[in-house]
Amino acid sequence: MAHVVLKDLVKTYGSFKAVNDVSLTVNDGEFVALVGPSGCGKTTTLNLVAGLIPITSGDIVIGDRVVNGLDPKDRDIAMVFQNYALYPQKSVYKNLAFPLQMRKLPRDEIDRKVKEAARVLDMTHLLERKPRELSGGQQQRVALGRALVRDPAVFLMDEPLSNLDAKLRVQMRSEIKRFHQDLKATIIYVTHDQLEAVTMADKMAVMNGGYLQQYDSPAQVFAHPVNMFVASFIGSPAMSLIPLEASTANGNTVLTGAEGWSLELSPRNAQKAARATTKKVVLGARHSTIKLHKSAVPGSVPAKAYTVEPTGDVTFVQALLSGVIVNISVPPNIAVAPDEQIWLEFDQERIHVFDGETEMALKAD
Amino acid sequence: MTIVTGKAEARRRLQPGWSGALRKIWEHRADYAYVLPAIVVMLIVIAYPIYYTVELSFFKTPPGLQLRDKSFIGFDNYTAILTSQVFWKVTWNTLIWTLGSTLISFVLGFATALALHCDFIGRGVLRAILIIPWVISAVAASYIWKWIYHSDFGIIGAVLVGLGLTDRPPNFIDNVSTVLPSLIVVNIWREFPFAMIMMMAGLQTVPEQLLRAAEVDGANAWQRFWHVTFPHLRNVSTVTILLLAVANFNSFIIPWIMTGGGPSNASHIWITHIYELAFGRQRWGVASAYSVLLFLILMTLGYFYVRALSGNERKEGSA
Repeated sequence: MAHVVLKDLVKTYGSFKAVNDVSLTVNDGEFVALVGPSGCGKTTTLNLVAGLIPITSGDIVIGDRVVNGLDPKDRDIAMVFQNYALYPQKSVYKNLAFPLQMRKLPRDEIDRKVKEAARVLDMTHLLERKPRELSGGQQQRVALGRALVRDPAVFLMDEPLSNLDAKLRVQMRSEIKRFHQDLKATIIYVTHDQLEAVTMADKMAVMNGGYLQQYDSPAQVFAHPVNMFVASFIGSPAMSLIPLEASTANGNTVLTGAEGWSLELSPRNAQKAARATTKKVVLGARHSTIKLHKSAVPGSVPAKAYTVEPTGDVTFVQALLSGVIVNISVPPNIAVAPDEQIWLEFDQERIHVFDGETEMALKAD
Repeated sequence: MTIVTGKAEARRRLQPGWSGALRKIWEHRADYAYVLPAIVVMLIVIAYPIYYTVELSFFKTPPGLQLRDKSFIGFDNYTAILTSQVFWKVTWNTLIWTLGSTLISFVLGFATALALHCDFIGRGVLRAILIIPWVISAVAASYIWKWIYHSDFGIIGAVLVGLGLTDRPPNFIDNVSTVLPSLIVVNIWREFPFAMIMMMAGLQTVPEQLLRAAEVDGANAWQRFWHVTFPHLRNVSTVTILLLAVANFNSFIIPWIMTGGGPSNASHIWITHIYELAFGRQRWGVASAYSVLLFLILMTLGYFYVRALSGNERKEGSA
């Protein structure tokens, strides 16, 4: 296994910049998820690391080698694709043996490695089958096996679970996680599903518009998003972002909503709001940090219930506040009707304050 | 009048002892009524000519169109054909013509398709130009090539003489040893674009991710072709080759217009020979017997074609 370093990585297509100055380090044995909406440059970044498309500028280091100009086969990587990319005419055994044959390994060694990989992934009984005779989950396991037999320095995975149905996806998610733990493998994993990234990765690189937005552990990204994009992309339901206006009266900072209500900020949050470039600030709150009240309590703001979605163990309420939809989770025993007047109380210890102009998170000392 | 299709009514009318098949037909008689006109037309334009050809093949027929004077001679026409030297000559020509044209057209078309699959400037124009031989009329092409090959005025001869390669322009189509290869060249020129189009369509269905996977697995360009592209194109290749083979076996225009089968039967293939026997020499019985043999051979090819096609469906069905 090896570490991977991307340094000022750029990929342009004509005037379009698909990947913009991406720099990050994947430590030896680390599971890193590249996550972002479609078109954010995550798959392009992965293909650059694989060597399937040439880089425009920057450096890619795998192990201790700069691999910028090397062919994929010389980079000591293995790749798992979204639609498995198994050779349809070859049996599972031959699929697993193919990368080893291409490396001209002796026959008995190929046989040994293929059988070992089949044993590890529990698919010895499938070796003689053709890919079309396998289920989606089995096919993906064969694709993992084909990566595994190579014993590569880095595993690159391009949305390997997106073609599976929801139930199988959860199952394969834990299988891949287990695979990582057992092999101590260095894995770069591309996904558009933030839940996959959060649940599996040691670190996640959130990308948007070709830029790396934030690179940190899932817990850190969740708790301290650097900007409004990351805040809204990570977590489900998404963090509510409420545009408000900040003002100071009698030494207290208050935020005023479009409906005219005002919310007094704690000293720490006031410090954050004071650092905004203009008066426009955006308050970010996850559903679990907002309390719903049926009557006005001190520190709460009035809102109107919009839709109510019971899910069984928790009910999600969408409320209209200052012109945007705010997500709140309430216990299922609290009945809320659409269009009902409600009051929302924010947990000031856990809310986020963003600059309304730059969209960056504001920090206190 | 009312058409009664009720099952009870049908059963009431059925005579005991009718077989199951007839019973079924009777129960669906309204459906059969709908397709009856089409069946009648097919019988008139397809089944009857086939029947009449088979019948004629057992008769000695006088020249001219006095077919009512024909006399039954059993398998004599067939024996005559199979023992004649011309038959074996023409069969040999047909084999060379069909195999040569089919295989070379396919390989050339496949190679062109692979070349055009790469991205380069002028690809669209080149593709359009290469399709021209296939879209122009075979009759026109035959006349053009007749002039190209002409021993006195042909451009190939002129170029060869101009380059000092020969003293005299070679005689391509008036020479028994060069006539068939020369015609095959024309045929290949005309039909390789068909193979090219088929294979180009096939190439577009090769999954990009498979090629990338093979690249990461360490396969070079040739290995990627051999392990990914070629297996993927197996079915479209089979169909293309079979279609070409049937078309070549049946081809008429190019050999008939360019040489009429000559000189001394050197460029006769089955179809031109049958045509000449029937409409040139008015030997209807012998020509019919030839046609029956040809029919049997083509039916065999057709059987493999259908099997190749349904084989694909089976595979896709189980996927």
